[in-house]
Amino acid sequence: MKKILRLLVRFFHQEVRNSNVLFSLGLYLLGVSYLIYLLSDSTTSDTAWNTLLWVVTFFGSVQLSSRSFEFESGNYFFYYQTIAGPRSTIIAKLLFNILYMVILSLATWALFSLFFGNPVYNLGVFTLGLLLGSAGFSVVLTLTSGIAHRTKGNATLGTILAIPLLLPILKLTSVLNLQAIVGVTFTETANLIGTLVALDIGIGLLAYLLFPYLWQD
Amino acid sequence: MKGSIYKVLGVLLVLYSMIYGLLMDIPEDTFLEETIRNLFYHVSMWFAMVAMMGGSFWNAIRFLSTENLTLDRRSFCLAEMGMLFSFMGLLTGMMWAKFTWSTWWTNDPKLNGTAVTMLFYLAYFVLRNSIEDTRKKARISAVFNIFAFVMMIVFVGILPRMTDSLHPGNGGNPGFNIYDSDHRLKIVFYPAVIGWILVGTWIASLRYRLKTLQE
Repeated sequence: MKKILRLLVRFFHQEVRNSNVLFSLGLYLLGVSYLIYLLSDSTTSDTAWNTLLWVVTFFGSVQLSSRSFEFESGNYFFYYQTIAGPRSTIIAKLLFNILYMVILSLATWALFSLFFGNPVYNLGVFTLGLLLGSAGFSVVLTLTSGIAHRTKGNATLGTILAIPLLLPILKLTSVLNLQAIVGVTFTETANLIGTLVALDIGIGLLAYLLFPYLWQD
Repeated sequence: MKGSIYKVLGVLLVLYSMIYGLLMDIPEDTFLEETIRNLFYHVSMWFAMVAMMGGSFWNAIRFLSTENLTLDRRSFCLAEMGMLFSFMGLLTGMMWAKFTWSTWWTNDPKLNGTAVTMLFYLAYFVLRNSIEDTRKKARISAVFNIFAFVMMIVFVGILPRMTDSLHPGNGGNPGFNIYDSDHRLKIVFYPAVIGWILVGTWIASLRYRLKTLQE
């Protein structure tokens, strides 16, 4: 537990030190949201709003994850393995990425609300959908960027592997969010939320079990 | 001799389902009419595909626990075979859809599931091609294979049940279960599934032996 916390702090420091990456991501979000604003008239439908929100989040998180293991190049892998072991590292990495992607998706939502207004009726369910979707995203992306990293820095490979794996989560979350926009109550979406939670936990467990195998040389 | 029993059985079952599937009388009260025969040719492909992918998944798990490279080769050949079945299932399905729904492709959860599954396994082949070291390739692609299979089951098995589908048996469309009071469809459908799985295993084992010789 202590190791995980320490790794989290370390990842956080790493991120602050390389703040240009954070800024470039922010600029991407702002730029793309504004681009959509310029190209579309202000009366976008709810479906289009939801789709665009998820497309922007999707590419943002793919971009984010493509450098998820960038700083761990070379001997850092062995360093972590001896200091903390693969299991603690993957948990720390997952928690860090979940946090990061939740912030990313919330920022996207805020930007969209600024440019296009906020059509969401049931805010609680929408936020929950955003959180669960981001959690699923970060699990898949952490694993695939780990795989891509092990193939010696082939950055596009991570994206190729991640995109199909993200589609089931994306589909479920966007259905849930669309229902939240329309204003379906929590109890009526409980089935969908339960599926998403189960999916997140399932793939999280799977990533946790599979990750140590990626480390062996 | 012993090893060839399943091959003969597979070929016989496939031939039986192909010929008798065309000759048999179909239940009269279906609005699918003659296209219901596609049950034998189209649906059996999906069952065979899931069986092949499942075999690939199982071999990937066994590889990770034993580090035996023959298991990795087996896993790869079965995945290839599953891919072939999914292509054939897609083709037969598209033909059927053209005559039943009058379109080659619709935004149906089952169709999306198929498309995504094919993307998973195409990504798996890309991954395998991009790593040089045999042992590393085997380990990393096994990890991806396990993950992809679980995601496939979610997308093909769970997601369509959450939403309506145009397919028979979903969204108020009658499935074939309500016509099988006389089990006429079942006695062709199940042999077709078993036959295709056996033939698929045979082809995969041939590919496996070829790859073993090449390496």
